[in-house]
Amino acid sequence: MPRAYTDVSSLERRLESLREQNTRLARTIAELRNQDALKTQFLSNISHDLRTPLTAVVTHAEMLRDGILGALGEKQAESVAGIITGSRKLLDMVDEILTYARGDANQLTIAGSEFTVEGVIEQVCAWSEPLVAKKGHALTVDIEPNLPALHADRDKIAHILNNLLGNAIDFTPPGGRVWICARSGPRTARGASVEIEVGDTGIGIAPEHHELVFREFAQVDASPSRSHHGTGLGLAIARKFVELHDGSIWIDSKLGEGSRFHFTLPIRGPS
Amino acid sequence: MKPHVLVVEDSALVVGALRVLLEETGHRVSAAMSVAQAVASARADAPDVILLDITLDREDGLGVLSTLATTNELPRVAVAVTGHDEPAVRERCLNAGCRAVLVKPISASQLPALIKVWLSESDVAS
Repeated sequence: MPRAYTDVSSLERRLESLREQNTRLARTIAELRNQDALKTQFLSNISHDLRTPLTAVVTHAEMLRDGILGALGEKQAESVAGIITGSRKLLDMVDEILTYARGDANQLTIAGSEFTVEGVIEQVCAWSEPLVAKKGHALTVDIEPNLPALHADRDKIAHILNNLLGNAIDFTPPGGRVWICARSGPRTARGASVEIEVGDTGIGIAPEHHELVFREFAQVDASPSRSHHGTGLGLAIARKFVELHDGSIWIDSKLGEGSRFHFTLPIRGPS
Repeated sequence: MKPHVLVVEDSALVVGALRVLLEETGHRVSAAMSVAQAVASARADAPDVILLDITLDREDGLGVLSTLATTNELPRVAVAVTGHDEPAVRERCLNAGCRAVLVKPISASQLPALIKVWLSESDVAS
């Protein structure tokens, strides 16, 4: 057989095999996309279905707490308060999963309004006050004077700050320091920006885990005996919300040296 | 006379909790688990207030209001109840004639007081 003929035929065979391989890969990608969409739908449905009985539990418990069904003894009131705290925590986690599922399915929208950075930081600090006191942390806020008002989705910015501050409080041993700083950020394609930093003197994150912590369901210590529990969605949602505003988020941390999460937001975000 | 509240909600657990809460705070309560049931109930025994879960099983709860509106049978106060607060959903409810939009879980200590305010405001308006 002439050599040129052999080469062409072997190339054709190889081409055919590559085509088949491509078809198989395309099929696998389509299947994976389908599975991913099903997972998101499942998360969304299950969160909605978990929320309903939980709301009934909270309503019953609040009726007992408020004495609508008669006065409670001290121990009974304490027990009912425990039911309400536990149920509210569960509701928060279910909401977090629902938010993630909607973000994953690109169903999140921005409800823009104008507000001050100071106002939203104050609000989030007030929410965290009981947790800060419980752990004996010192929480400080430092805001650059005359920062312009932001045009953004206030609830989502509060959500980002709350997730970052919650982690800072949680991952810092008792008696530590946590802080929020806000200052002018770099100029971006959208014009002026603000940069917000949420920092702590806690356990820190090794550089090789910096990208991992922003991934959904990721926890650096995922063992059942880990000391910090949660959905593992807080930072994934924070990143999603920052990106919805055309901002960026990053981390500056080393193991044992605390963490500083930074994010930037254009002063006039997308509406 | 006790104010009559129609609770439209497809979860028996939530209906049970709201029934205890509202009855204990001086209301008369009816319940419906679908749009058709709610419309039939409202026509048979007109409520002062409708508490409407807008995400019924495969149905849009706001259909209750649009159906009652065609025959001029809207209650004095209609309030939407939703699992998740979103500006678009809120706007849709308000456009459909809801007086307010409540996000679950409804606060047990606030709901009876809110109903009182809405009813007194509707008295003033009429």
